[in-house]
Amino acid sequence: MVKRRELSRNARDNIDYYLLMAVPFVLIFIFSYLPLFGVVIAFQNYTPGKPFIGASTVWVGMKHFITFIKSYYFTRILRNTVVLNFMGLLMGFWVPVVFALVVNEIPKRRYKNFIQTVSYMPNFISTVVVAGMVLTFIANDGIITRLINAFGFNVKSLNATASVFPWVYTLTNIWKSFGWSSILYLSTITSIDPELYESADIDGASRLGKIAHITFPMMLPLVMIQLIFAVGNMLGSNTEMVLLLYNSAVYSTADVIGTYVYRDSLLGVKYSYGTASGLLLSVMSFVLVFGANAISRKTTNFSLW
Amino acid sequence: MNNIAVGAQAQPQRVRIRLKRLTLFDVVVLFFATLAGLITIYPMWYVIIMSLSDPIYASGSKVTLWPIGFYLGSYSVVLREMQFWISMRNSVLYVLIGTVLMLVTTMMVAYPLTRPNLKGRKACVVFLLIPMYFSGGMIPSFIIITQLGLYNTPWATILPASYGIWNIILCKTFLQAIPHELAEAAYIDGASNYQALSRIYLPLAKPVLAVISIYTVVGVWNSWFGAKLYQTNANIQPVQLYLQKLLIEQSLNINKMIEQNMTEDMIRALNMRAISARQLKYSMIVVVTLPILLVYPMFQKHFVKGVMLGSLKG
Repeated sequence: MVKRRELSRNARDNIDYYLLMAVPFVLIFIFSYLPLFGVVIAFQNYTPGKPFIGASTVWVGMKHFITFIKSYYFTRILRNTVVLNFMGLLMGFWVPVVFALVVNEIPKRRYKNFIQTVSYMPNFISTVVVAGMVLTFIANDGIITRLINAFGFNVKSLNATASVFPWVYTLTNIWKSFGWSSILYLSTITSIDPELYESADIDGASRLGKIAHITFPMMLPLVMIQLIFAVGNMLGSNTEMVLLLYNSAVYSTADVIGTYVYRDSLLGVKYSYGTASGLLLSVMSFVLVFGANAISRKTTNFSLW
Repeated sequence: MNNIAVGAQAQPQRVRIRLKRLTLFDVVVLFFATLAGLITIYPMWYVIIMSLSDPIYASGSKVTLWPIGFYLGSYSVVLREMQFWISMRNSVLYVLIGTVLMLVTTMMVAYPLTRPNLKGRKACVVFLLIPMYFSGGMIPSFIIITQLGLYNTPWATILPASYGIWNIILCKTFLQAIPHELAEAAYIDGASNYQALSRIYLPLAKPVLAVISIYTVVGVWNSWFGAKLYQTNANIQPVQLYLQKLLIEQSLNINKMIEQNMTEDMIRALNMRAISARQLKYSMIVVVTLPILLVYPMFQKHFVKGVMLGSLKG
């Protein structure tokens, strides 16, 4: 008797739970899963307005993938993505690490808080505004162009010069994100056992010595993990930022997969081809992330899954 | 009188002590920290002083540290622009609706997932995890939105952003730390599952819901790409897309906008000259961005907490 009551209680609970989850799950199904099924159009000649799979579906196998790989866009997109990520890594990766170390050494607590607050700010400014600011700064009468020319150079139309774009993009990203990225490093520093510093003080260590022998080594595992993931993300790209900063004069160095699919395939209504090219890059990127994760698990005992 | 004298005497001594404590190392640290701060703040400061300067100087290259002259006319042009207000209204509505939906959907999934007697929990979690790692991409999403008839409706940007799987997992982790005895006690008092959720778990989940809502507010306020894809009707576009058209795409006629919104008095005061397009852009940036930058230091603690919570999960 008791058991039956428990069972019905259980069943009633579960009905409640499923009713609660139903609406969000339907939303997730529609807006996350249906597009996932939609990837099948990469293997078709999809006609807009038709269902993903139906009686009139024309299957074409790998045709669109091959077209994309053979087109010169494929190598250009790969090269641009790797160059942009590599520059970001080289110029930007160490910035939050060093910034966290510097902020941690600021002697005045209130000034330290102030610098932190300021450094997080760009993270809250929208990409549109950041890009808009940068574009007016690098216009011919913009402050950055004038600043560069004040040093005796004579540069103009920076926003339309292909070789300049990767620099603009990289520096903009660093400006926007270095403060925010330093939060994790700073929290690692604050979790270091103060006794380590105390015993170093007794041994007469200098502050630089303490950074080199305590703070930095304690941060190193996190730095390594972040580095591995940054390398794993080498084929990922910030479509929105590129889309906002680029223009037709700099496609040769700026175009990444997201901007290409948007411009060429979405606006150009080449749905199957665009899905195929996007899918190819996703798969390549996934393999890389997966590989980086496997390496991370082996070497640092840390992994995403 | 006496007080001032005492203050004046005490002052030099304190300064001396402070200076003595600063080693060369401190000076180097302060230098680099200040440099980083200046690099961060100066571009924003420059936008502000340019927007406030006299139009004659704002169109030249003299303004560097402080506004030259003081002129609010470009702001009045911005605030007179009807389409700007329409997009601001849309953004406010999207933020409000989006945040409420986000909190509701997050709670509706996170709470059941923490119940010990939920059947099929594993399947539910897998259902949530798959979209975190795989997405259909731009074009399949576009086709779905179009076929659902959402194209060019407000829902095209609201509904896809009405749930966050990461938020659900964050909230679930948080709720799991609440002891089950609390709910058991409520059940003994005759509470239903819904009452347990709304009376016990909802109040207790406030900290994590606060984190989720401020992230959602900033995220929705700053988003534009979804609207770019799905909303071609200017009357439903959010303010960031309006800015994108104004600052980046330059598909809006700024000079016409200035012409239409400058009053006779303003034109006369400026000796028949117009405000420059650049100054108008800067004023527009300030109007749209300042609210977030002013409010954010108050919530900074929550934002930082969000980063920590997120990293713990990883």
